[in-house]
Amino acid sequence: MAHIKVTRRSMRPEEWTALRFGWLKRHIYAKKYEIKTLQIRDARQVSEMEYAYYTEDYRPLRKGDMYFTPDGTAFIRGEIAVPADFCGEELWLSLKTAAEIIVKVNGKYVGGVDPNRDRILLSPYLEPNCETLYFEMQGYNRSKPDDERNPESLSVRGCRQIFEGAYLATVNHDVLDLVYDLELLLDIAGSDLFNEDYRAFLNRELNNALNLIDFEEDTLPGLTDAKRYVEEVIYKNDDYKGNGDVALIAHSHLDIAYYWRRIHAVQKNLRTVLIQLRLMDRYPDFKYTHTQAYTYETLEKYYPEVFAELKEKIAAGQFEPVGAMYVEPDCNIPAAESLIRQCLYGQRYFREKFGKTVQNCWLPDVFGNSWILPQILKKSGVEYFVSNKMSTWNDTNRFPHNNFIWKGIDGSEVYACVPPTHFITWNTPSQIQENWEAYQDKNTGGQTMSMFGYGDGGSGCTEEMIEFMHRFDKLSIMPKTEHTSAAAFLEKNLKDNPNLQKWDGELYLEMHRGTFTTKANIKQQNRKLEYKLREAEIIATLRALSGKPYPQETLRECWKKLLINQFHDILPGSHITPVYRDAMADYEAVDKMLDEIIGNGTQYFNSLNFPRTGLTFVENENGDSTRYGKTGFWCIPNLPALQNGELKPQNSGTAGEWCFTDGDTVETPYYKIRFAPDGSILSLYDKTLSREWANGDFNKLKFYEDKPGVYDAWDILPNYKDKPVLPTVSDPLHLTEKNNEVAVFACTVKVGQSSWTRYIRLFRQSRGIEVENSVDWHEKHRLAKAEFSCNVLTREAVCDLGAGFIKRETHKNTTWQQARFEVCHHKWCDLAETDGGVALINDCKYGVGFDENTMSLSLLRATIRPDPTSDMGEHRFCYMILPHAGDAVSAKLNQIALEYNVPIVKADVSCQNTFDGLFLQAMKLSEDGKTVVVRLTECDGHRGTLHLPKKVKLLNMLEDVVGESAEIPYQPFEILTLGIDLN
Amino acid sequence: MEEYIASVIRPKIQGDGGEVCFASLCDDDLTLVFQGECSKCLILDRCVHWMEQEIEKDLGKRVTINAVRKKPFFWDA
Repeated sequence: MAHIKVTRRSMRPEEWTALRFGWLKRHIYAKKYEIKTLQIRDARQVSEMEYAYYTEDYRPLRKGDMYFTPDGTAFIRGEIAVPADFCGEELWLSLKTAAEIIVKVNGKYVGGVDPNRDRILLSPYLEPNCETLYFEMQGYNRSKPDDERNPESLSVRGCRQIFEGAYLATVNHDVLDLVYDLELLLDIAGSDLFNEDYRAFLNRELNNALNLIDFEEDTLPGLTDAKRYVEEVIYKNDDYKGNGDVALIAHSHLDIAYYWRRIHAVQKNLRTVLIQLRLMDRYPDFKYTHTQAYTYETLEKYYPEVFAELKEKIAAGQFEPVGAMYVEPDCNIPAAESLIRQCLYGQRYFREKFGKTVQNCWLPDVFGNSWILPQILKKSGVEYFVSNKMSTWNDTNRFPHNNFIWKGIDGSEVYACVPPTHFITWNTPSQIQENWEAYQDKNTGGQTMSMFGYGDGGSGCTEEMIEFMHRFDKLSIMPKTEHTSAAAFLEKNLKDNPNLQKWDGELYLEMHRGTFTTKANIKQQNRKLEYKLREAEIIATLRALSGKPYPQETLRECWKKLLINQFHDILPGSHITPVYRDAMADYEAVDKMLDEIIGNGTQYFNSLNFPRTGLTFVENENGDSTRYGKTGFWCIPNLPALQNGELKPQNSGTAGEWCFTDGDTVETPYYKIRFAPDGSILSLYDKTLSREWANGDFNKLKFYEDKPGVYDAWDILPNYKDKPVLPTVSDPLHLTEKNNEVAVFACTVKVGQSSWTRYIRLFRQSRGIEVENSVDWHEKHRLAKAEFSCNVLTREAVCDLGAGFIKRETHKNTTWQQARFEVCHHKWCDLAETDGGVALINDCKYGVGFDENTMSLSLLRATIRPDPTSDMGEHRFCYMILPHAGDAVSAKLNQIALEYNVPIVKADVSCQNTFDGLFLQAMKLSEDGKTVVVRLTECDGHRGTLHLPKKVKLLNMLEDVVGESAEIPYQPFEILTLGIDLN
Repeated sequence: MEEYIASVIRPKIQGDGGEVCFASLCDDDLTLVFQGECSKCLILDRCVHWMEQEIEKDLGKRVTINAVRKKPFFWDA
């Protein structure tokens, strides 16, 4: 029997309600007067406050004209006399646009419009009885709306827009009130999250309310009756009970760079702040949180009058600085010292300008968080950590907590909030209900946090979101809500809460695993400059101790440039082409400034606080070796900790006596190695430890099709190995260089349009086997890895985190282990048995995968979104294979990896204190210039006591004095900060 | 023309997350390949028209642009 599907073709009651709702919205404006005197001048922003103009002068801008150009900024101006029938009325500007426009009237910043809002209240900012209005607008067009989740903004994306006109207007508040009522109630009526009977009740009663209005008449007779009906029949009904307790926190997520350049963030931030300030003017109960000291800095620098208003609102408790850091950085890749400086420069700014130490770290969008973070936060005055991604973006496991305690690698604990839903919402009842339902700590965590406000490129909250909030208490079906500040929420629900669960470990995000690898050059420069900054600060401090001037401002400028580029869409590589260019230009500038600080000495300086005894490459134009295309020589420096000395090539033995080749086999003092033509190692026999290290593909270069989908730059999928791409050997492995210290073998493989040359270095005086990679990379959707199948039986890999190490299981018993198929590490990783293992030490790589006895170091990707040119071109990088006896600690992997990453430079300085047992992570002058700050890190997981010749100050990471001692006990993975009097 | 597209037009397009590459010029018919955000832009024709105007203004040459969209697989539904 045929089945006939019954389809309703006539209008449903809900559709009839929606139709009339649309009619009602047409009456929001009581009067509109088109501004026909506008003129426009197109430009392109070239720096934070500079523009290249396309024309000498302005041209008329009329309704229907095309406006904005690709990557364009437009300046719009116009003057009108206030029409007689508008005099004395509440005046608004109505301007519907796809752009982000900042508006000044009669010289006063009055607000902003963008795809999320199309009107600005003018009257409070005009002189009484003002007769003329002079508009000045600055607009930045976006092909990428801030928020793809807002369907209305999607429909207007594109570089060339049609001007829809600008109007002086008055608003019919009775209509607008009812519009907000209907918007709110229709959201509930359309959401499956609410009681079905209540939704039926709403649909019925909204229809009844709208039946009271005569839409045939322009004056909408019956409007007041409809409003009264909604109040008395719908809001007064409390037959349907909801439950829950939700704190509503207003904020705006502002990516400093993403689909826009850092220079554009200055105006994005201005617009965002301005809009929120204007909302605060209208709604005294409205509170708003805003992160990133850097954005406050740019506002203060370029828009001091708005900054002055912001300070007033902070003092009044409406505008709340949150997030102790300078920017919202990536929290996987930056070194510990970088994360400390994020806090130092962030908190320093908030203290200086607002007299506040911000007690929370606000990182809603970062792609996972290193285990070293709790200690850094705790010692930077931060008690609370907030980050959303793990709850809403994990692709395999549901993160089990929302309000909890996060225990760090050293045992430090901070209160943590991972809100159950996205950090961008528009404060609708259904989003609030969804938050409550997803909240996992209902019985232990107190309230749940729901953030609201548009974001990505700023924008923030709207009048509508606040109007909704004012109606929530009238709806018995909704969870109880409280609009509050971030600080108040955290203190109320987390502080001293004895019921909170504890998470001890990294906050790994089960997504965005490709960001450890995408845009390799940025990661390489970041690593290089982190160590170069360390070097420059130590040298400059030691010089300052002998009376020379300390380049405080230059060093601060270098740090800030580095920190900005650690923003979570810059360093991870998820940005457009111009953002990459900006970052590389910044790195070049920092490099140059640091070169000038370091200068040139007559002797080589060992900035490490342990003797430098590992084989090191020293650049020298008379050398007989090459590395990274530069000439030099290999030597064992034998420089004591923090001392300087001369380095010369060492002439002991001859090349022929230490390295023998026989067909595909090479023998050195340490190894007998059988190579394949592609440079992979078929056998790596350790002569001193009498064991084989290779068990399958070892140092094998592998390529995979890497098509993660729309999150191209961000993700690597768990099935990436499904489709290998086989390279061909175009130049088989052969000896290219041989001297007293090193023998270099080179080979080239071709894959697709790319060429990959590997220089494999074997050493007379080092167990390390270095692989230098020189790549001309022109692939699309390819992941390149170096894989090492080791003859090692272990269930865990040890990975450096920059200030301690983490052990990660290598088997796939549980979904948690399966999800961690690609993780972030810093300088080294290791697979070892109790008496030996294989370590990989790198100079710029972060992504690595482990699968039983195999390590796969991620080398390059080739993604096309957001940047179709991502990673194309030349790359040079090194890693070192280091088979060793014992475990990672007894093999001194931390020290070896530091020697591998810290270049040796010439500087005529030295230091007597060596702080044995701990790593000298930083030495600098304090921010006030009065104290030498020494930062020491325990990296090997042991406990001890630092014995100093005299008492020093104990500092926190903000350089506040917290104690004084000459005997300083430390525990595993602790970071100490000492203050030594400059005199 | 190829140099003009690469050095003048392309940086502006890249600034909005797009990408454009010169493909060919036959008489007055200029073929450009669009990637990135441009590949799925609903109003690319407006940009193409603007490019034709810019080329005429800067190079004094009237061209008709044939816009080829190279859409990535994940948007090619």
